[in-house]
Order: sequence, then C-alpha cells, then structure tokens
Amino acid sequence: MENIISLRGLTFKYKNSKKKAIDSVNLEIGKGKLAVIMGPSSAGKSTLCLTLNGLIPKLIKGEFHGNVFLAGKKISEHQVSELAPVIGHVFQDFESQLFSTNVELEVAFGPENLGLERSEIKRRIDNALSLVGLSDFKHRQPATLSGGEKQRLAIASILSIEPEILCFDEPTTDLDPEGKENIFRICRKLKKDSSRTMLFVEHETEEVLDADLIIIMKDGKILKDGIPEQIFKDVKLLKDIGIMPPQITELFYELGFDELPLTEDHAVGIIKKRNLKFSKKRYQELIEKDKKRSQNYGNVIIKIESLHYSYKDGNEILKDITLSIRKGEFLSIIGSNGGGKTTLAKHFNGLLLPTEGNIYTNGKNTKESNLKELSQIVGFVFQNPDHQIFAQTVFEEVSFTPKLLGLPEQEIEKRVRESLEAVSMTGFINADPFSLTKGERQRLAVASVLSAKPEVIVLDEPSTGLDYKELSSMMELLKDLNSKGHTIIIITHSLHVVASYCYRTIVINGGEIIFDLTTREVFQKERELLKAHLKLPRLTSLGNRYGYTLLSVDEFKQVLEIR
Amino acid sequence: MNLYLYLEKKTSVHGLDPRTKIFILFVTFIIALLYQHPLYSFAVFFLVLLHGLISKTLINLKIVWRLILLIDFLTILIWSITAGGENIIVWRISIQSILYGISSAMKISLMIIAGIIFLSTTKNEEMALGLIRLGIPYRMSFVFSTALRLVPTLAGTGATVIQAQRSRGLDLDEGNIFERVRKYIPLLVPIFLSTIRSTNLLAQALESKGFGYKEKRSFYLMLEFKVRDYILIFFLLILLLINVYLRLKGYGRIEGLRM
Repeated sequence: MENIISLRGLTFKYKNSKKKAIDSVNLEIGKGKLAVIMGPSSAGKSTLCLTLNGLIPKLIKGEFHGNVFLAGKKISEHQVSELAPVIGHVFQDFESQLFSTNVELEVAFGPENLGLERSEIKRRIDNALSLVGLSDFKHRQPATLSGGEKQRLAIASILSIEPEILCFDEPTTDLDPEGKENIFRICRKLKKDSSRTMLFVEHETEEVLDADLIIIMKDGKILKDGIPEQIFKDVKLLKDIGIMPPQITELFYELGFDELPLTEDHAVGIIKKRNLKFSKKRYQELIEKDKKRSQNYGNVIIKIESLHYSYKDGNEILKDITLSIRKGEFLSIIGSNGGGKTTLAKHFNGLLLPTEGNIYTNGKNTKESNLKELSQIVGFVFQNPDHQIFAQTVFEEVSFTPKLLGLPEQEIEKRVRESLEAVSMTGFINADPFSLTKGERQRLAVASVLSAKPEVIVLDEPSTGLDYKELSSMMELLKDLNSKGHTIIIITHSLHVVASYCYRTIVINGGEIIFDLTTREVFQKERELLKAHLKLPRLTSLGNRYGYTLLSVDEFKQVLEIR
Repeated sequence: MNLYLYLEKKTSVHGLDPRTKIFILFVTFIIALLYQHPLYSFAVFFLVLLHGLISKTLINLKIVWRLILLIDFLTILIWSITAGGENIIVWRISIQSILYGISSAMKISLMIIAGIIFLSTTKNEEMALGLIRLGIPYRMSFVFSTALRLVPTLAGTGATVIQAQRSRGLDLDEGNIFERVRKYIPLLVPIFLSTIRSTNLLAQALESKGFGYKEKRSFYLMLEFKVRDYILIFFLLILLLINVYLRLKGYGRIEGLRM
C-alpha cells in the first residue's frame, strides 16, 4: 500500500536565516498511523509540519527543495486551500486560530469554504463538537472559553473539514494538565478510526507511549525513528538530544538495569522480580533534611492576611487566603487554570490590590506603596517574554528598570552586567533581543527583572515553550539565584519541575488554598490532588504505591536498596 | 475585559435581518445629518435611545459614555468659537454658534450610540453575510468583520503588556507630556509585534481551513427577510422621505448662522 505521507529530500531555509531549518528530510508514514515528532527547540518540527500543506513555501517564503506527496498528490501543484480536505492543521497558539464569534460558526467555517450543503454542514458541526465534547457550547462565544476548551474548539474546526490527515503542532503546550489530558483523550478516540492519519509534535514522552511511530529530529534532520519501546529506552540518546526521557525509564537506566520499563506497572514488576526494597532509614533522612531546610529560612517577606479578591462584576476569584512567605524559600503555586494562581501572584507586587484583607511585602502594606518601590522587592516575570521585550539591544532591555529608578550611569552598567552574568548571557549584551531563541528571551526577561535587585522573584509559567535542556538550565538558574538568597516563587503546571526544584507547594483550587505544605507532603496526597485535576508525575506515583513519596530520580537512587 | 460588544439577547431588534439593521443605521445617519438645529437633532437622538432601550443594549454605553461626554464638550467648545452667528454674546461666541455646537455634539453622540447598538445586536458573521448579500465581495466583508473581531484581542494583549511593564516599574502617570509619550514605546513595540505574529498565524489557519477553496462558498447562517423586515424598511423609507422633504422646505435650520 502506498504511504499517505511521503517526504523526499525536503530542505528549507527561511528568508534571512543562515541555517537550514530542515535539511534533506525523507519520511514515509502509512495510512491510519499515529506518528509523533519529537526534538529540541528549533529542530525543524514546526517547519516540517508547515511544508505538509504547502504553507511553506507558498505563504512563508524561503529556499525550498524536495517534494511532498500526500495521498499520492504532489503538494507543490496545489493551492494551500485546495488541500484542506487532505490535511488539517491544529496550531499551538489557540487564540490566533479562532476568529468567529460563536462556537458553531467557528466549526462551520471550513465546511462553508468547501461549499457544502447546509444540512451536511450541520451534520459535521454536530459530529465534530461531540467528538471534542463541546456539544453543549454551541452558542457560546469562543472568547469566554477556557484555554483547553479553545484548543478543543480549534480541533473541532478542523475535524469538521474531515481531512484524511490531522497535523497537531504542539497543541498542548499552553494548556493546564486537565486541558492536556482532554486533548490526548480526543486523540486516542480519533486513533480508533483507522482511516485517519495523525501527525503530532509533542514534548512530553509520557503522553505518547501508544504512538505507532516516534520520529526524533534535531538540527533539521531526522536522527532516528521507530516504535516508542525502542526509542524511549535509549535514555542516553534522548538526554543528549534534549528530550526528557520518561522518568521511570530513566530511573532503571540509572540503576544500571538491562530491563527498562516504560510504564508504572512494568516498573512494579521489575521491583518485585529483582526484590528491590525501600530503605526506611534513608527516607527518614530525606524528611529530616526537608525539616532542617524549613527552619533555616529568613524573616517573613510576604505576608497575606485573609485576602479576598473579586472582579468588578462581583465574581470572587480568591477567597480568604492567608499565608506567609519567608526569605530564601523556593516555592511553587499549583492548581488548575482559572483557580486563581496568577491572580494571587499579581498581588505580591501590587499589580492587583485585595478587595478585602491585606498583603504586606517587607512589612509594608501594598495598598500604601507604589509599583516602582515594590518592583525593587518583588520582581515579576510574565509568562510570555514577548509581552515585555521592546528594546533594540539586550543592554537597553535590562537597563530599563534601573533607568526608571534613576540610578547613576555607573550603577546601571554594573547591574546590567551582573544580571546578564546571573543568567549566563554576558556575551549577548549588544544583541538584538528578537534574534534570540525562546529560551534566551525567557532568560533575558529574568535578567531584566533581576536588574532591579528584587529579593523575591515571581515567575508565571517559566516552563512554557521551553525544551528539556532550556527548561533544565532555566531551573538551574533559579536554583542558583535561590542559593544566593533570592526567594523564588513559580506558578506552574509542570509537576515534575515542582518535584525536582520546589521545597514548598501551595495548591489553589476554586480560589482557595487547599494545601500549603512541603512538596513531599503535598505529593503524598495523590487522591486529593487528582480531585483538583492535578496528576502526579508517574515516578512519584510509583513511590507512593510503596508509601514513599520520592520526588526525583536521585531520591529514588538514594532510598532504593539494591541487593 | 471583553470588548466584543455583541449581546446575545432575544429582542425584536436582534431578530431582524442584518440588512435591515444596516439600513436602520444608514437612515439614522442621513436624518441626523440633515438638520442644523439642536431640537431636531435631539428628536433623532431620542429615537436612537429608544432603539437602544428596545434592544436592551444601552448597557454597552458604560464603556464609552465618558468618551462621548468628552467629545461633546470639545465639539460644543470648538463650534461655539469657529462658527459665526448674528447674535454675539462674547468675543466670537454667538447664540447661533452655541446652538450649532450643541446640535453637532448631539449628532456625533447619536452616531456613536447608533453604531454601538448596531454592533451589540449584530453578530460579526451576520454583518459580513449582510454585506455580502448587499453586493460586497466575500473577501472584503470578511476583512471588515475580522478587523472588528481583532479589536478585543488587541485590547487583551495591551492589558497584559501594560501589566508586564508596570511591574518593571513603568509609571505612566509621571512626567510631562513628552516624557509620557516616550513611555508608550515599551508598550507599543510588544503590542505591535505580537499582533503581527498572531495575524500571521491567523492567515496560516485560514489557508489551512480552506479559505478560498471554491469560487462560491456556502453559508451556514441563513438570512431571511421576514414580514417585519419589510414593514420596518417601508416605514424607514417613508421616514427618510418625510425628513428630506422637511429639510427642503427649510425646517431645522438655525437662522442667522454663518459658516
């Protein structure tokens, strides 16, 4: 049988770029398969997706060679819009793909373009919305949906065209865990229909274990492809390239075992077979260490007393929040979207003021201080660095706050130097911020907050859009800043990041704090977390089965006794 | 904040065909522009408010009423000084020029309000389809309705960027006017760039969804002229004719106004 996707010698170089984004790629994917493309940032994954329906090179110009064949059609001989019934694209940024003012019309747009009969369009709308579970939302305005719902709507608006191939380009990156899970559930449902081929670009290995084919890309080339079993057990390769291996697999690889599990059940089997035991004594030592750390924190720097926050329309977002944060802490705020995490964090630096209750930073009520003063105590790094980068050089960007503070020239230069040093970007001082990669721009955003020398740094979703290597280096940077005395607060969805780096975790659900404990204590409460739509990393889940809440591969290695 | 004005309500105005609504807007504008005298402008203004009351959309005015008042104030001020009249009160200000200023302010307000009522009662897609049925090419009406759709998105991005820069210590209320203008650069650059980026993506999404697949696309929305549309349009035509007639007869002018 002929393959439905066939790429031959595909090469593309973006205009104004020196490097080839993809370089002589050959790829064959059979009908009805689920193929997943993985790889670090700028490996060429998205570029590859865009060549499939001809957006590259027809809309996005550059140097293009090679051929794409979809279902036997030579793509270069067709208009992009002509290919809509062949291949549908779901992009990462769900905001920009939606443009209608009601859900039903959004889904109708594709079939309307195909010129279908009204009754057929109606059938397709109903079908697509029920597949993504949005049937009850027909008359809602897309702007009022949550992020996860918006992405599901974007998928429905493609499904209604009923294309033979579906291409998902990191559809879950901007979603919370619940939203992610829903997308993967839809994909599993779609996979049952064997006539549909799916191509997925994804970062998280644990979610794509049931794919038919994993394709590993780096620097525009396909390094390796094969079934998940084969790819994910090559822990060394994954780490070298910059893909996070499944933690469970990594653990047994690090232990030096030959038999590597991909799933929790398989891991349990191996533990039984090899008669591995957990050491109670070493586990106690870990708990003692947690305690000792808690005792060594400095004075209270942020103190919140029964804070309530409501929107102008009376909708209450935060209910009776009381907590205090001490100097030197590294803490995370987790919880599903719309729960109030970001709203709470925006109170720390006075961006929002409580409707009721008080919040004190460094002993001073935020109601009585201005933002400029507060920016020197609490620095806030927004989720998307592109919402704050404006300058033509890195120097100008980082010196923005010190200049506003009216510091002398010499001090400004010193602070810029120190801040760039802290994020290891000294060499970029004269670079154009917009020529940097996403990871570098994220670091730049941190540096420009550091230049105000804040004691507390709050980061909203610092992991979004970063690959494994970028993420690790970002988190190591924060760890380093923390050890130098900064208090670090991160708001995040990545529970494995929380597990590896944060000592204290505050769980917010429905505007209330449901837990405020050490991360280990919080992660013990697996069932309660699940109720708040928080799914633990599989590795921690594995430890919990035995009554040991272990947060990282290293902790497992310490506590597991190998005979 | 949601700047998309459409209000999902079941009123007799919402149920009208978009073409009828466009015609209402058109007639409102014409009649308003016919007269000079504030009494006449006020009558039209009153009708527009009535229209808003029936369609239950006046609530949307809460976003813009301050702006409208500001425009009114400036309009009255400027016309009082620049328009000439026979009965001078002080300096260049005459009874006629004040009346003309008030009338102009009334006209501008009622046009803004009529526009808001139109947007509050008409979905973007209905408007686009209405324009198409009136003979505007699909692509053009799509561009128009998408541009309207982008306003709320732009405002959302703007709000985020302002928060991001304020938390870096940017104080927009500080300094003299030149310093303040310069302070908008850190806001405008990110807003501008992320708008370009998302517009680019929108183009990709449109192409991928088969925009322009066929010469003639179909429409899921159905437009249908009902009896009440015909009645209303007939009534509006009569109204328009009467007003044009009155205007030609010389009603609604300010005696002694010199422009």
